[in-house]
Amino acid sequence: MIIAERKPFEEIKEMVKGYKNILNVGCGGCTSICLAGGQKEVNQLNAELKKENPELNIDSLVIERQCNYDFFVDLDEKAPKYDAILSMACGAGVQFVAERYTSIPVFPALNTVFCGVDRNVGWFEENCRTCGECVLGDTAGICPVTRCAKGIFNGPCGGTRIDGSCEVDPDTPCAWTEIFNRLTEQGRVDKITEVKPPRLWQNQVRRTLIQEDYKARYAE
Amino acid sequence: MSDQEKKAVDRAEISKMLEKKAPEMKRILNYCVHCSICAESCFLYMSHDGDPQYMPSYKVINSLGKLYKKNGNVDHEFLEGIKGMVWNNCVLCHRCYCPIGIDIPRMIDFTRSICRSQGVFPKLDEGESWL
Ligand code: SF4
Ligand code: SF4
Ligand code: SF4
Ligand code: SF4
Repeated sequence: MIIAERKPFEEIKEMVKGYKNILNVGCGGCTSICLAGGQKEVNQLNAELKKENPELNIDSLVIERQCNYDFFVDLDEKAPKYDAILSMACGAGVQFVAERYTSIPVFPALNTVFCGVDRNVGWFEENCRTCGECVLGDTAGICPVTRCAKGIFNGPCGGTRIDGSCEVDPDTPCAWTEIFNRLTEQGRVDKITEVKPPRLWQNQVRRTLIQEDYKARYAE
Repeated sequence: MSDQEKKAVDRAEISKMLEKKAPEMKRILNYCVHCSICAESCFLYMSHDGDPQYMPSYKVINSLGKLYKKNGNVDHEFLEGIKGMVWNNCVLCHRCYCPIGIDIPRMIDFTRSICRSQGVFPKLDEGESWL
């Protein structure tokens, strides 16, 4: 899922400065799960903003997803009553809210940081950079884009330290050493010698995905 | 004691929320013919070997349906009791199909809003999960 963290309070305060009537919208999806923008966090931020400026009118609304307009029924009703909206969803959600209410400024209360996994309550790790050409099948389920400092598809780079850490940072394990070890464990270490051709770094442009079965529906 | 246990249930607020959605609610309570087509289109129901707790119509009738029948006259315990049904048993993927046009995830979403309005929601920071 998407992992985010709250922006520093000063930054949020600065963004909404001058607005007197604000709606803080939480997201019941990823940012609830990563404890950054769910009901509790919305209530907490509002209390802090209110404490800072007792004159401020700040209300809250948590919708279950900010990335799907099917969940916007209550927000559609409330949004026009405010002169600014704070969104506690990921960047995708913030943009979807901003696109729907173009006359109202929408501010992000969070920084969206990565796509990752829950290691434990409140502890998350990045595992995927959504590169669009997944190689995990050949790398024993370890992502070289995310976990190798150089993001190389053919590794290791030659800078691996003797203890198996990365030359860039001694505290970070070399992803390619981990790939080598796990492929060895699985009896398919020969995979590592298969050279991958240079890839198209297409994630520089905005991507749209329509699943195969739905292509006809949206064709035109 | 967490925030969620402290708040007393505001029954008038719940019944006001219910009133606004009365037509949609009547549709599910009166027109659901129990054809179980929604069940077959719900991956959670299918992956739980057809456990009725995951059947889309069951989830709505036993959460929002009960709230509606009681006209919001419920206590905190009741809301805590349906919390699992509307958070753990449905991921709001919108993939269930109802031939009569009942929007089940919308109803579950609405039930969550009612719970939220009374301070009832998953305590994720206390290790409670909803998946
Ligand atoms: S808006 Fe972002 S944070 Fe919210 S559910 Fe969608 S992807 Fe997750
Ligand atoms: S290779 Fe890595 S970044 Fe690319 S899709 Fe697979 S896990 Fe994600
Ligand atoms: S040492 Fe390993 S992780 Fe570090 S840059 Fe080289 S291959 Fe990547
Ligand atoms: S929205 Fe809920 S009930 Fe419908 S298919 Fe998804 S999990 Fe099942």
